[in-house]
Amino acid sequence: MEMLLMGACLSLFGLAVTCLAFGAATRTEEPSAVEAKPAVAKAAAASPARFFVSPAIIPMAEHAQVPIEALLLQIESHVRLEQAAAESFLQTPTPALLHCKTISPLVN
Amino acid sequence: MTSGQSELLKGLPPPEADRVLSLGKRLTLTSGAELFHMGAPADSLYLVSRGRIKLTLPMQIRGNQQDVFVEERTPGETVGWSALIPPHQFTLTATAPLQTEVIAFSRETLLAHCAAFPAIGYAISLNLAAVVGQRLQLFQAMWLREMERMVELRCA
Repeated sequence: MEMLLMGACLSLFGLAVTCLAFGAATRTEEPSAVEAKPAVAKAAAASPARFFVSPAIIPMAEHAQVPIEALLLQIESHVRLEQAAAESFLQTPTPALLHCKTISPLVN
Repeated sequence: MTSGQSELLKGLPPPEADRVLSLGKRLTLTSGAELFHMGAPADSLYLVSRGRIKLTLPMQIRGNQQDVFVEERTPGETVGWSALIPPHQFTLTATAPLQTEVIAFSRETLLAHCAAFPAIGYAISLNLAAVVGQRLQLFQAMWLREMERMVELRCA
């Protein structure tokens, strides 16, 4: 009888230790999950939502793969856009026109 | 293009402008033909009468030198004012992207005419100063915009 009770106590003790270990294990995972949420939110904020598909914008890292003819055309388009912006500024010299953002894919 | 539409002859009475135009020699450039090359002696000033003239500068891209678009001149506009300003060397390369006609004025002929008719010479000088000044202001604004982008990238 005593042996049976001893066995039952040991089993309960083992179960309690297992529960504590499980609890501790699940508790350590929670903070990282909490930390992951702002990271996802930051990533979402970094790429603004677009209703329409934006024009083909090639990231700078991918410019290395762009054929030289395409790159020269992009440069030409960029220069034309910049000249148009500069001409607008010369017609009406205001800081707003001087600093207006370009839509040139070369720098976006 | 009529004489009145030319930026170089602006303000001149039509008979005077026509007289200046008659000093020039009409040149027809086929598509892709080069009008002048960077570094070459600048002996003539050109007036675009038809088509377009593309001005380029060499740029290093991926270790190779490529001619990069700088600006384009259309009918009525002047190309090659280095012919009138020392050291008389072209600082850009000019090509015709399509069949183009220009009127070439040799420096000697133009300066001799301006010396003989100072009022015309004065008007042409003012027009040339306006052309050079306008391009300087344009490139100042473009340069500032590029600097701004560079600073933004540095501070990002």
